[in-house]
Amino acid sequence: MRHSLKSLRCLAGAGLMLLALASAAAAQDVVIRGGTILTVTHGTIQNGSVYIKDGKIAALGEKVEAPASATVIDATGKFVTPGIIDSHGDTALDGDVNEITSPITPHMMMEDAFDYDDKGIYRALAGGVTTSLLLHGSANMIGGQALVIKHKYGKGREEMLFPGAPRSIKFASGENPKRVYGGRQQMPSTRMGNFAVQRQALVEARDYIREWEEYEAKVARGDQEAKRPKRDLKLEALADVLRGKLLVQIHCYRADEFLTEMAMAREFGYKVRAFHHALEVYKVAEQVAAEGVAMATFADWWGFKHEAWDAVPWNAVLSMRKGVRVAIKSDSGDFVRRLNQEAAKTIRYGGATQDEALRMITLNPAWIIGVDDRVGSIEVGKDADLVVWNSHPLSSYALADVVLIDGEVYFNRALPGFGMPQYREGQ
Amino acid sequence: MMRANRLQLAILAVLAALGMAAGAALAQAPQGAVALRGGKVMTITHGTIENGVVVMENGKITAVGAAGAVQIPKNARVIDAGGMTVYPGLIDSETHLGLSEITLDPATNDMVEPSDEITPHMHVYDAFHAESELIPVARINGITNAIVAPASSNTLPGQSSFVQLDGRSSDEMLLERDVALPLNFTGEQRRTGNGEGRKFPSTRMGMAAQLRQTFLDAQEYVRKLEEYEKSQAEKDTQPAGENGKRKTKERPKRDLTLEALLPYLSGKKPVVLAAEEGSDLKTALRLADEFGLKVVLNHISHSRDLLDEIAARKVPVIVGPIYERPKDHERYDAVFRLPAELARRGVKIAFASWDEHNVRNLPYQAGYAVAFGLPYEEAIKALTIYPAEIWGVAGHLGSLEVGKTANVVVANGDPLDVKTDVKRVFIAGREIPMESRQTLLRDQYSPR
Repeated sequence: MRHSLKSLRCLAGAGLMLLALASAAAAQDVVIRGGTILTVTHGTIQNGSVYIKDGKIAALGEKVEAPASATVIDATGKFVTPGIIDSHGDTALDGDVNEITSPITPHMMMEDAFDYDDKGIYRALAGGVTTSLLLHGSANMIGGQALVIKHKYGKGREEMLFPGAPRSIKFASGENPKRVYGGRQQMPSTRMGNFAVQRQALVEARDYIREWEEYEAKVARGDQEAKRPKRDLKLEALADVLRGKLLVQIHCYRADEFLTEMAMAREFGYKVRAFHHALEVYKVAEQVAAEGVAMATFADWWGFKHEAWDAVPWNAVLSMRKGVRVAIKSDSGDFVRRLNQEAAKTIRYGGATQDEALRMITLNPAWIIGVDDRVGSIEVGKDADLVVWNSHPLSSYALADVVLIDGEVYFNRALPGFGMPQYREGQ
Repeated sequence: MMRANRLQLAILAVLAALGMAAGAALAQAPQGAVALRGGKVMTITHGTIENGVVVMENGKITAVGAAGAVQIPKNARVIDAGGMTVYPGLIDSETHLGLSEITLDPATNDMVEPSDEITPHMHVYDAFHAESELIPVARINGITNAIVAPASSNTLPGQSSFVQLDGRSSDEMLLERDVALPLNFTGEQRRTGNGEGRKFPSTRMGMAAQLRQTFLDAQEYVRKLEEYEKSQAEKDTQPAGENGKRKTKERPKRDLTLEALLPYLSGKKPVVLAAEEGSDLKTALRLADEFGLKVVLNHISHSRDLLDEIAARKVPVIVGPIYERPKDHERYDAVFRLPAELARRGVKIAFASWDEHNVRNLPYQAGYAVAFGLPYEEAIKALTIYPAEIWGVAGHLGSLEVGKTANVVVANGDPLDVKTDVKRVFIAGREIPMESRQTLLRDQYSPR
């Protein structure tokens, strides 16, 4: 008995050692040599190198010191960018994007629906995407709380969650809620109804905060009679909106609705982080810029419904020139595979510079998600989420050759099968 | 008073005459010669000329060649195309242009007749909306011609038209009114709805049986027509019956559905056969063989095990959208590679957007296919001369050649790259205003 316990301990010890080895392998130093480095924030480095240590960017420049033991990725003749960031993804949710039974469902958590096995995560990865904000659909005025993932396909669920990313909540407006509920002869069936429902929910959240504050004040005074209010998940989530603890991401198309949403945010004292889709921002870009609200938009998608009828492909650049922070996003399992091409369209439609176009799929979406201090540019100290492209990424012809996340290779086009060194079929 | 009236009448007459003259001038706008000088001219069929000249007159191309080798007519309007790429108008081999304005607004949609699965007597030309706001959006990016097909939710949804994306009316734009018959066999056509929505055919077996019966009925219809015509031709030589009358066959009652199938059963016109997966493609091809249909394949995104067989059949293939998602067991680039895989086997391909609002992006999928191994020459041909050949219009479209219709595009770079800006478009020799609903909105809200 003692003997077997001892051998168990030995086994455990060996297991720990193996674990240690595995994590050492994960933290293997990497150096990418000889590529054109598009840093996004600090211009372009010709024939440059990036040294990666412990999953972070440790050095970059024309000459970089790296230990001889570091794994070398030869990027001669190639281009290196930060991993692409999609600020509006709908993959990996197994269709569970709308709890379509009530227009106010802020307590629906994307992390409870996240299908980490979805091959859509892989297909985006192969297009150079390393981080996504997974958002609810737009059937509800307030759909629920989002999820930020890294596209580490083949690793487990927990390793795919972006550590420490801020919480986001999805609001919607316009045609979709009124079509869904109006079709059932329920409120809302008009834009008036949409905003009334939203305002009512925020009023209730304000009351909920007051109830709790009053209760806590009573407790603090030592009031033995103080009656503890009932916890309400829905109102708790909305209370966090009012407390500024959630980034508010609003699905919104029409110029008048941007103004209404911003007015409501002022009325209730929260900030809107970004308008999503945002096809008419070009009409009221000064006002949107003045509020510091960003936009996540399609490059040129239009006409699929009335509120997309005034879309123009110049929207991104016209709005950017007025001071709006612009991201190009996918909201699609298709576009997410080639966001680099979508961003390149802003060069043609309005004359964005290459840096500006790249920023729309890297640093700007990172800001919208609230992780721009961690990802979105090639800077010392940031996560080593990098893409090596076979040619300049802003073209029809560029392919992602190698995609690294936290310094590890997750996609390598040269490999057979899926091209994923971290993944085995059937795992 | 009388004088004034006469004067007014005279003024009106003059104005009317001027108006007519202006109208006539508009209609004949392309008459004067136009020469594009100094661009990189991609003729498609006769190579690329680095410093070339293209001359157009009366709606046709009248000269193509190297600068210096081409005589530019004295009266020609000369346009400097230095630094530009000059290429023929692009052809989209499947769109729904003119059948839809706003996707979610039923009042603006005439995409398909859902009441039956077999509706070959639906003609796109009966619905084609020449004034669609979507058409200028497409053409100012260099797409000058397109197949307009009904939506794919019926097995036989109706006949497609081949259109020119400019004209004063649908008559001018509909170049070939019934150019092809789509036959869709993807599973999407099953009537699998719940409750009352479920009806025959709710399986692929039902779809196949229904199609087979339809083609048999059409063959029977042909037989009866032929018997009738024969009896008509012979009636004068037949002896009179007992009542003194000659016996003739009764003319079969006209059946528009079956009648619509006749040019396809006789192989005069192509059936555009869409099937995604190998199993569906096999079934659809068996049907096509059984009835001797002339086939153009479409949408074969997940039939890679049959590519050699497809090549052996020597049928053309419409590719696109290559943006369709691969199956979960497939590598990420499985569909992106399809054009290259087909071209490698010698299959003639043509790109299609399968869309209406996003037709303008047609050239970019060809560019992306190049990234995945399609030779550039094949990619550009799959947007020009190959579709012209497939749709039977290569005599006047698809390349920059003397005598062909002057559909010419001038752009500031590679036609297949997303960054390239199209600067001028000529359709049948007429220079198209680079305007759309979208450019007007852009200008309205641009900083002054």
